[in-house]
Amino acid sequence: MKRMTIAVRPVLSILLLLSPLFYLHAQQDMAIAGRSKKSVDPFVRSAPDNRQAVNARASFAVPVTGKITDENGKGLPGVTVSIKGNNAKAVITNETGDFSISVPTGKETLVLTYIGYVAQEISLNNRTSVTIKMLQDSKALDDVVVIGYATVKKKDVTGSVAGISQQDIKSRPVTTALEAMQGKVAGVDITSNERPGTLGDITIRGVRSLTASNSPLFVVDGIPLSTGTIDNINPNDIEAIDILKDASATAIYGSRGANGVVIVTTKSGKNGKTTISVNSAVTFQKVHDYNVGMNSADYINYRRWAYYYSNPASFPRGDQPTLANDKFIFLASADPSAFANINKGWASGTWDGSKVATTDWKGMVTQTGITTDNQLSVSGGSDKIKAYGSFGYLNNKGTSLGQSFTRYTGKSSIDIAATKWFSMGSNISVSYGVQEFGQSGAGSSAVSASSSIYESARALFSYAVPYDSAGNRILYPGGDAAFKTIVNEQKYTKDQRTNLRAFGSFYTQLDFGAIAPVLKGLKYRLNFGPDFSVYRDGVFVDGQSVIGAGINRASLTKGQTFSYTLDNLLYYDKTIKQHNFGVTLLQSFTKFSADSSSIAALGIPFSSQLWNALTTTNITPANLTGYSSNLTQYQLLSYMARVNYGFADKYLLTASIRQDGSSVLGTGHKNAIFPSAAIAWRMNHENFLKNTPWVNDLKLRFGVGVTGNSAIAPYSTQGAVTPLFYPFINTTSAGSLPSGTLANQELEWERTTQYNLGIDFSLFNRRVSGAFDVYTSKTPNLLLLRAIPTVTGYTNIYANIGATANKGFDFSLTTINVKAAGFTWATTTNISYQKEHIVSLSNGKQNDINNLWFIDQRIGIIYGYKSAGIWHTSDSATYKQFNANGNVFSAGNVRPVDLNGDKKIDPNNDRTIIGNTRPNYIVGMTNTVSYKGFDLSIFLYGRLKYWYSTGGESLGGRPTQRVVNYYTELNQNSEYQKPIYTAGSGDPYSVILGYQNASFIKIRNISLSYNLPQASLKRTGLSTLRVYAQVANPGMLFSKIKQLDMDLVNAVSNRGVTLGINAAF
Amino acid sequence: MKKYNFLIAVLLLLATVITTSSCKKSVLDETLTTARGMSYYATDEGITSLATGAYFSTFAAPFNGEWYYSNTNYGTDEFHVGGDNSNAQNNAYSNGLASIITPINSNTILANAQWDNLYLSIGYANLIIQNATASASASNAIKKTALGEGYFFRAYNYLRLVSQYGAVPLKTKVSTGIELEFTRAAPADVYAKIISDFDSAYNLLSNGTGPAHITKDAAAHYLAKAYLSRASEINDAWNATTKAADLAKIAPLCDAVIASHPLAGNFASLWAYTAPDGANERLPEIILSAQFTADASTNGTNTQHLYYASRYDDLPFMQRDLTSDRPFSRLGTNYYMYRVYDQVNDSRFWKSFKTKNLVNKPSAPYALGDVGIMYVINQPGDTRFPSYKLLNTVPYGPTGRPIANVYVAYPNGNINDGALFADVRFPSLSKFIDASRVGGMNDTRGLRDITLARSAETYLIAAEAKIRLAAAGTGSYADALPYINAVRARAQYQSGENRAAYADGGAAPSSNGQAVALNSYMPENSYYESNNIPVSTTATSLAVASVATLPASDEGVISKLGYTTPYDRMLCFLLNERARELAGEFKRWEDLSRTKTLVARAKAYNPDAAPNIKDIHMLRPIPQTFLDGIQSGGTALSGTQKQTMQNPGY
Repeated sequence: MKRMTIAVRPVLSILLLLSPLFYLHAQQDMAIAGRSKKSVDPFVRSAPDNRQAVNARASFAVPVTGKITDENGKGLPGVTVSIKGNNAKAVITNETGDFSISVPTGKETLVLTYIGYVAQEISLNNRTSVTIKMLQDSKALDDVVVIGYATVKKKDVTGSVAGISQQDIKSRPVTTALEAMQGKVAGVDITSNERPGTLGDITIRGVRSLTASNSPLFVVDGIPLSTGTIDNINPNDIEAIDILKDASATAIYGSRGANGVVIVTTKSGKNGKTTISVNSAVTFQKVHDYNVGMNSADYINYRRWAYYYSNPASFPRGDQPTLANDKFIFLASADPSAFANINKGWASGTWDGSKVATTDWKGMVTQTGITTDNQLSVSGGSDKIKAYGSFGYLNNKGTSLGQSFTRYTGKSSIDIAATKWFSMGSNISVSYGVQEFGQSGAGSSAVSASSSIYESARALFSYAVPYDSAGNRILYPGGDAAFKTIVNEQKYTKDQRTNLRAFGSFYTQLDFGAIAPVLKGLKYRLNFGPDFSVYRDGVFVDGQSVIGAGINRASLTKGQTFSYTLDNLLYYDKTIKQHNFGVTLLQSFTKFSADSSSIAALGIPFSSQLWNALTTTNITPANLTGYSSNLTQYQLLSYMARVNYGFADKYLLTASIRQDGSSVLGTGHKNAIFPSAAIAWRMNHENFLKNTPWVNDLKLRFGVGVTGNSAIAPYSTQGAVTPLFYPFINTTSAGSLPSGTLANQELEWERTTQYNLGIDFSLFNRRVSGAFDVYTSKTPNLLLLRAIPTVTGYTNIYANIGATANKGFDFSLTTINVKAAGFTWATTTNISYQKEHIVSLSNGKQNDINNLWFIDQRIGIIYGYKSAGIWHTSDSATYKQFNANGNVFSAGNVRPVDLNGDKKIDPNNDRTIIGNTRPNYIVGMTNTVSYKGFDLSIFLYGRLKYWYSTGGESLGGRPTQRVVNYYTELNQNSEYQKPIYTAGSGDPYSVILGYQNASFIKIRNISLSYNLPQASLKRTGLSTLRVYAQVANPGMLFSKIKQLDMDLVNAVSNRGVTLGINAAF
Repeated sequence: MKKYNFLIAVLLLLATVITTSSCKKSVLDETLTTARGMSYYATDEGITSLATGAYFSTFAAPFNGEWYYSNTNYGTDEFHVGGDNSNAQNNAYSNGLASIITPINSNTILANAQWDNLYLSIGYANLIIQNATASASASNAIKKTALGEGYFFRAYNYLRLVSQYGAVPLKTKVSTGIELEFTRAAPADVYAKIISDFDSAYNLLSNGTGPAHITKDAAAHYLAKAYLSRASEINDAWNATTKAADLAKIAPLCDAVIASHPLAGNFASLWAYTAPDGANERLPEIILSAQFTADASTNGTNTQHLYYASRYDDLPFMQRDLTSDRPFSRLGTNYYMYRVYDQVNDSRFWKSFKTKNLVNKPSAPYALGDVGIMYVINQPGDTRFPSYKLLNTVPYGPTGRPIANVYVAYPNGNINDGALFADVRFPSLSKFIDASRVGGMNDTRGLRDITLARSAETYLIAAEAKIRLAAAGTGSYADALPYINAVRARAQYQSGENRAAYADGGAAPSSNGQAVALNSYMPENSYYESNNIPVSTTATSLAVASVATLPASDEGVISKLGYTTPYDRMLCFLLNERARELAGEFKRWEDLSRTKTLVARAKAYNPDAAPNIKDIHMLRPIPQTFLDGIQSGGTALSGTQKQTMQNPGY
């Protein structure tokens, strides 16, 4: 985009002089220019070129004086004036903008540089006195932000809006734009998911709603999405992503703005040179497992102890094994092959665990994941027609066998300015994805059903072996029917999900000012955004599969959603002297419709049929286990008015009001009004700061807004009854039952009022810049699904009950730490702090334990018994007192804290709040070091100060076990309790040892890239060529929970290396 | 000018678009086209539909999952944990049996599972009663059948609640909004409501549609049961005023039911399941049953077949198959069951428990047709077998070939119970085994009906009433004998009967998932191997002539439990008879709890429960979710208030 905007820059600069606000709306007509941190920073581009240094001993006999001014003719202090080819003699202008310099001949060229202004070269041509006007760098001015139904220059923004550019998206190897946003924007928390084609979750400024949705609204090219996220968009097609965080900004989207708004602007054609770009990357990934399982010797030892503690009278101590006992506890008769392996440990007659081989089950289901991502795009345009087209192909082979994701994306965008007053455009993106989900646990009736092939492999015993002596696959290695083999599993399950999505954004715009001068500033725009998607999910599970139950089964689900948004917009802009007015009026209608159908059956005759032959001739009625079709629809009707007012480019006001009506709410409660107002003060334009050279930009913002949330499922107010069939002998009779959710016709909008105070700053020649926002919000009529006593005959109800409050800050700071010739070190840090609490619930300030809602506490908390570690033999006098009161404790058991000191652990008096499960702090930091075309960047991401319940370690002795420090007679100062063999579990309090501080900081990515210098590109015909290598997930800086990657909340993450190029012709 | 025309046209278009869409306020109306709303239940069709739904909720839904057996069979003299501890707390009365049950795996039932199911079903019953009462219809289908069913459902669920929890909130009106203020009604009030509701059902319903539908006889059976419960020991603190009248009403109710529900001729035919909805599910003896069938569109899933099966698939030469079921191995048979029968003359043990399997994973020296597993349920002091576990040694009589796995209850002359506990091996209760499952050997969806009430129990209810009347001075203990002897007579071996014959639901294999040749089902029991008597086909007699001389097996229990008074002896005999007849049929815990014999019997016969069980365990803990969710006077309960509302000891 650097390439694109150069051509339009002068034009824009002139326009800007005439009317800043005209420019503002002119931006709608054209493609939104992107921003790049690099291109914003003129330092980098105009750094003096040492290679052109000339003889320093030349004489400097000719004095030259001059004055440098800004666009308004005011003297510009601090401008660097140097002689081209000899920057040793540079001078700086004084407070009035004057300078004097001596040059050797008077024919030299002067180079003028100043941050935020376009660098200029002035040929002296023997002049000894010059007056030069410097123009503000249009790059900085181009820095526009999409704020909803309009774009504004960043300097005119009144709300809390953050953006990431295409450069940020490209800076990491990502397959979706959501991943690219992680850690780049203060106040936005994004979790990851390593299964190819599966997205993580995103929340903006934490959560407010207890049970309504907390995911933000996505707006693509002006069209709010009714469903889904932006996973279908090729990240390379994205020009910019803007995130509206505070309510004064998001209130423009009214009922859907409560959780923040993510605005995606895709690329479109630009005036000027036609460019062809190629982006290619290949990524190699390996599984990294934080959860280290016990090897054979450790596990055998562990199970022996577990049996011992289950009944010390019957079983020998773990350190005194006997062959006979091993035969029994390791099911020698059920799987002689596995026991043959254990028997190796007995070869010498005394036990030697090191002789027992450990089977690498996980190695049998993993592979090197290879992702290739290729995109070709072309862009160009004239004054009349601009166009952009791209084609992308992503092929992601997962790190687990059977998992992959293939996505084809195509996009075309055309903007036609037919006449001066009529323009039209279309933007169509289509994506088709095929996700091979691999083994899942869905719908399984099998004994062993884990969520993925990797977890299925983890469940297999390290001492068991895959094949018996005859080479046959052992179905239950280790002989326990709960753990089925994963050998060849990838052949036995197939879960293929395809998704075709076509998304369009069409507009027509009339500029009445171009027709009748009296109507100058009045524009009408019609936006139409259809969004259509079709998905298909085919599942086939062979009877042999880990999740199979001896008989083939298959299911096929198909669905389609269609939604559209139709916006009528009127804009009116007027400038009277220093007063700039802008008015936006909107009427918007959205309709959403989704339908789906599915069929599921057992007894598929042969496996190659998969789900493709579920016919009456293949499947008997008794084997037809399910079939369904469904339809969901809703509508949304909105009106909005917004006024922008600016005075002297110093004082800015934005006020808006929106009315939303939603069909999903109760009659009489469908409509609600969402007002907002924000003011901003560009302090650096005030006289008292104007001449402070170290302040480049300083803007104070204050905003207030009301946003809503009706994100409950359609028909929630209706109390739909659930039909069923009951057989009277063999007469199947139709019956029905009321929904377990008590219908509530009184449901109304959940409304959040938020106040935001923010400051944007750019200091010290823009070497320090950033933004700081503090906010507080209140949601007085919380919409929630609350459990109610079942004595009522119902389990829960949707209701507007209770209030929450939220406060926090977002801080982002970019510093250029070192700025030397050809060398830059820049750091961008994002810190967000967020803490919500429940103010009141249904009956005022009453805690609701069933729903885990407590007054003045966070929304997500852990409530239970506190851990005091484990009981030791030295505590026997104490635990005997508990045992007298009904507890059953012995040395090595988990020890809960007896809060009220009555020597009895009971739920009424001893449960307490352990901690919050939502992080107080989310931090991201990117350090970038640039040297002569090389960029090295390290990205850190972390969540701090929160708790997570890992579930503890049940130590029941039956399933496989990760390496933990558990209690035995020989190891009494352990972290975990003693193992007790049970087919179910052991210690009833084991879970409380799993309540852990979850804070972590992760090294998410290290990237090294090289931009080939223009000089060497000249011969190739390329305009840019960047090659890069990246390392993803190299490790944790620190993590309190060692067995999990808390970024993913999973034990397994993918580590990988990406190699890629970006080229443009 | 041309462009002005266009401009005007566009403006008009724009105005049209705005006005048309803004005029249509109705665009925000929400129409639910794919489901019916609650107003449906104001119609007669809706009331009938709801009643059908309540059948599912009250009768069928509880048998999908583990809470029913956990609360009715665990922790008794009949069964203990059979290997899998998922719900062991209910058997062992351990620390874990509390108002919050810490799930130890996904199979663990939560403390509120039973409570929630019963109250949700009561909510449906209240809705039926409210709407059927309000209905303007004059049809019998609404005013008699649906209304009668509504009363029955409510009483049925409250009887279960009061039997499990004692005092419980009494909710008889439909909720239309959030209600949080609840207190526990005294058992006296709950029983009064139960009896009045069963009485209403009895008066409204007619006969002729059982056992799938609720009949007048079903109402009579349960009304008698409710009277008997109210008159039982657990209510002795307050039932003095109602006791005599309650007991007097029981036998006449039972007599009428018995008259129209003759016992099946052979005990085995009750369990001889060959196909869904087959003959054994329609025997006249059955008064009421929870309905399941093959039609996959029906919602019911009967998973009870999983829980009683003992592990067989981990033994040498055995693998899992359809006919011996998927052995979840939750309910292990106690030695009480091995001793309480007259194993020679009483056919019921041999018809209720699976004692033989064929080899189904043949390899040398075994082939298909050989016996893979045999349980020898012998008597103490038997010296024939040197060990409780004998592999490849004991020959199978008819072929002389060795049996792969033999397990012996009393090996080596042993007179103490418990030899089989070493390996957690036990003969499975076979009443629920289901090989008709369509999804193969691991399918959990069972298709067999579950008998809720059959006239054998009606006999025993009447007998118990007679015993209690005798204790109160009305009539004599001998009055109970005709009722008990009727049940025992059916359990005798008939003349010419093959005593080694055996049948269970394994005889109904669907063809899915595994070759029939690999089935381990064997239509033979270990009667002769266990009893070590010559083959005989003469009839046996179980008749008890005098209350002074009870059968030896009962005298054994009486002496072990230390009973001496005639009432205690007769009640013990009756409870033993209930165990012999109704083993595993989801009644035992409530029988023992109401008669306050639970603690003594569990201590004597349940190895896991013995160390822990106390008197407090005769009631279940009130779920913490209820205590945490309710309020009193607008405020949540304090810890002390909750403790006060909780049953003592939890």
